[in-house]
Formats: sequence, C-alpha cells, structure tokens
Amino acid sequence: MDSEAAPSEFLSTEQILKILSETPAGFIKATDPPSPILPPFKKLGVLVEIDEIVGIQDKPAKISDSRDKEQSYSCAECRRMLPTAHLLDLHITEQHDFYFAASVDRGDKPMFSCFLEECTTKFHTPRQRKDHCIIVHKFPANYRFDQGNEKPKEKRHPKHKPNSMEVDELPAETKSFPYIKAFSFGHQTHRTFYTRKDHKAGETLDDVQTMKDAINDILD
Amino acid sequence: MASNPTSPLENTILRSKIRENARDQRLECRAKAKDSLRIGLGQVKKEVAALESLDTKDVIGLAGRIKRRKHATSEDLCRLSLAFLQGNDNINAFAAIPGAIQVLVKELTGPHIQQQINAVECLCNLSLGEAHVSEKIASLAGSYMVTYLDGKEERLKRSCLWTLANILATCDKAGKILLQMQLVPKCWRLFNDSSGCQEDAGTCLFLIATHCLHHVSAEDRRYIADNLHSKNPKDSGSKYFMYIVHQLDIVGQDHELGAQQAECLLHFFEETLSTPVDSLGLIYGVRVMANLMALGDPKLIGRLADPQNFINALNQLFALRSSQLHSDLIRLLKNFLLLNILDSKLLLDSLNIYA
Repeated sequence: MDSEAAPSEFLSTEQILKILSETPAGFIKATDPPSPILPPFKKLGVLVEIDEIVGIQDKPAKISDSRDKEQSYSCAECRRMLPTAHLLDLHITEQHDFYFAASVDRGDKPMFSCFLEECTTKFHTPRQRKDHCIIVHKFPANYRFDQGNEKPKEKRHPKHKPNSMEVDELPAETKSFPYIKAFSFGHQTHRTFYTRKDHKAGETLDDVQTMKDAINDILD
Repeated sequence: MASNPTSPLENTILRSKIRENARDQRLECRAKAKDSLRIGLGQVKKEVAALESLDTKDVIGLAGRIKRRKHATSEDLCRLSLAFLQGNDNINAFAAIPGAIQVLVKELTGPHIQQQINAVECLCNLSLGEAHVSEKIASLAGSYMVTYLDGKEERLKRSCLWTLANILATCDKAGKILLQMQLVPKCWRLFNDSSGCQEDAGTCLFLIATHCLHHVSAEDRRYIADNLHSKNPKDSGSKYFMYIVHQLDIVGQDHELGAQQAECLLHFFEETLSTPVDSLGLIYGVRVMANLMALGDPKLIGRLADPQNFINALNQLFALRSSQLHSDLIRLLKNFLLLNILDSKLLLDSLNIYA
C-alpha cells in the first residue's frame, strides 16, 4: 500500500523542471533571504574570586617569575621578555643583529617589519612603522612593545646645533677619505700610485735623507 | 566455559568507542570548568549571596586610588571586576573617569602574567557595558589583546577572546577598530589551532560575520580563503565554519579556490549531513555547496561530481522536508545541472523531492 502511495508524495520531473525554471542560478549572497534564526549570543563576564587572587599573590616571587618566563618569549642576549614570537623576532633583529643594522644604514630597502605578523608591509625607519601602526592598525601612540623607542644609536649622536640647517651629516669615520683601491683597467696594479700607506712615503723620504747624509759623509 | 574471545575488529571498535567517550567527557569537563567562570551582568547578585555589594561610590573611590598610584594591585582589579559584574551604573561610573582605563591597560601590559590575566578579566567585565565603553576598551587595549592572541598563556588568550567577543557584540565602531588590528587572521589561526581556544575564536568569527561583515577587508577574506583547509570538522567550534565561509563570501568570484580548499569544504558538507535540520552548519553548508558549484569547475566538487553521490546527498536533504533548506537545495540542483556532467532528465528522474 505504502509503496503505491509513495510516488504521489514526490514531485514529477515536469514539476521539478518548472520549479528550476523559476529559480535563478549562480551564487547565493550573504544578504539573500531567507535568513535563518542565528543562535543567540549572551555577553558574559568573568567571575573572579578574591581568595584565589590573594592566594596567587602569596606565592613566592620565584614561582611567579618562572611562570612569567615560561609563558613569554625572552631574549637570550638582554633578557627582555616579550609576549609573542614575532615581537621577539623583531627585537632580536633590530637590537642585536649587526647585519640588520648595516642593512638599515645602507638604506636601499625597507627593513622594519610591522608589529602585526599578518601585515607584510616593511618600512625604512621605525618612525614610518609607528605612523603606519597608528594610522592603519589603530595602535596607540605609546605602544608598549615598540622596539624603535630604545635605539641607543640615536642617543649617542645628539645634534650640537639645533638651529642649524638640516644637512646630511656623515659619521666621523666616513668624513676622512677612504682607501680607494687603484683601478688597473687590465694593467698591473703596481704601475699606479701607491695610495694605501701614506705614512710609509714619509719613511721612504727619511731613508732618502739618510742616504743623502751618508753620501755627504762619504764625500766629505 | 569462557565466552568466545572477541575478534581483533571488535577490539578495535571497542577501543575507539572508549577513546571517543573519554574524549567527549574531557571536552565536557573542560567546557564546564570554563563555564563556571562566566556570568552575566547583574546575575552575580542572585548567584553569589555572600558577595559584598559595591556601588558607584566604591567604584569611583577605587578608580581614584588606582589613578593616584598609577598602579592597580590584584585585589583592586578583583574588586573592580566584581563591581562591574554588579551593574551597568558601576561600569559607566568607571568609564567616565578620565585615565582610569589607562591604569588597567598599564597592568595589562606589565611584565607579570598573572597581573595581565587579572587586568584582562577586569576589562572583560567592563566590556559588559554599553557601546561607548566598548569603544574605549577597543581603542586603548584592543591592540594588546589582539597581540596576546599570539602568546602562550591559555587563560590570557581565552580571556582576551571573551572580552573581544563582548566588544564585537556591542559596538560596530569598536568592531571596526578591532578588525583594523588584524583580528580576523588571528582568530582564524586560533580557530584552526589544536589549543583550547577554538570555540571562543569561532564565537568571535561568528560575531564578526554577523555584526561587522562590512568592515572585513579583502585581505582578511583572502587570508581565510588561503587557509581554509586547516580546519578539521571534528574540532570544536566547527559548527560556525560554514556560516563564516558563506557570510564572508569566501566561495565566490573574488577568490580562486584550490582543490585542497574545495576538498575541505566537501568534507565539512559530508559531516554536516548527519546534523539536525536546523543546524547552522547544514543550512549554510548547502549554500556554500551551491556557490562552489556556481564557480563552474567540475573538478572542485570532487566526489559530488559522481551523479550517484550527488543524488544520494540531495535525496537525503530533501527527505528532511525543511522549508528553510528547500530553495537553497533547488539552487544547488540548478547549479549542478549547469555543470553539464550528466543528462538532466536522467538526474531528475532519480530525485525524490517531496511535494
């Protein structure tokens, strides 16, 4: 009986085709009706117990220190503790990596990564990064984990003349003429002037003088 | 005489059942332990009879003290937390004092984990307040809470997620600020992680998809599309998966999906077939599948490209006789027919759609 009645329960092919012709094809958008009823979300707080907190406070400092160390990322060089692996990575490269410092000094490419791991933008200076984080990511201006604040290099070279015109000041070492290797253009380098050790020229001159003195002595 | 020894197959089935039960029990215990910490605004007065009553005067006094000292002790934070739970007046009184939230933020970013937890729990209770309070928390402490989501301490991460969820549910502007801090990729990573934060991260993503959809950037959507396949249907919080994928328009013309991502969606869809008819996963699973077929690439639909599998799945869903599902199932069928995998007459003859 049931098997005979069952087919009448279902739509025929023609009926399905009719429904299909009335149905649009393509993507269903997030805003398309009907919107089912969503599970309700109730805002909840946290019930803290004073006894529990006071109990934790009473724990010896050693235990809480070891917990702090375990649960954060610390720098092996300066013992600074940071909350995430990415921030520690930034700290190590920016504070303790000489190759990074040299690359920053060269200034040919941006080296400072954003504080947010997922943001791939890089910057030439910590200042640019800070501005980016404030404007784009809405970070506070005094972001606590900002590595750029503690660069000692800038402190070492204070400007002596605050009112003077802005000029690109070179460090003291670069002001003296560097050793320039003599170009050979296919010829042997010993044909060029020997510019490497100027003080040796003096020595040679002294030798000539002593030779002259010696000749004079002989002639006398 | 001893009974027949069990076969190795039976042994394996028994062991896996025992393991499953133990896992379920563990999850239940964990959920209970977590829930015992959560409480609604004002509910605390009814549930904890011995609690000292703290009114706005007490809150103003406490706020003044922590401001003067520029530091809040654990006890101060605890008292403030309890005061915020007792009513909205206390929350408003605290939020109106300039510089008071900054002290909480200072404790949040301090060197001690326990103090950070106390501070974030205090902020969590503060986030039970109205939109203007949520906005203040988001702009002053949001960046730190989002940063801590990458940290190691589970309780800190969980409390941050609870606070962020409260903010997302309250204020659209605060939600926008949090999304600019890259909350979506961070939550998605936690949602897929095997840590204990999957459910809470899923809740945050659910709230983003519900309240802040128009603030989700193309980069955020791209990130989810690229990392779609890292979620397992057996993980907790997976009930939100299809809803998030559909609402954020991950399966659409804007994102190219690879075979791996499509395979993950199919896997989720197959898992949702056995869930109750009104479940979020099933309703949005059908929509996601309809969109996957609308992409027009038969390679992406994997096992469902086999007409028999497709017919079986569709008949199973039509048999639920759900009015909510009906129109979406018809759309799914139409998109499948447009793929021209099989003669439509043959397919329609095999379908059992209830009148």
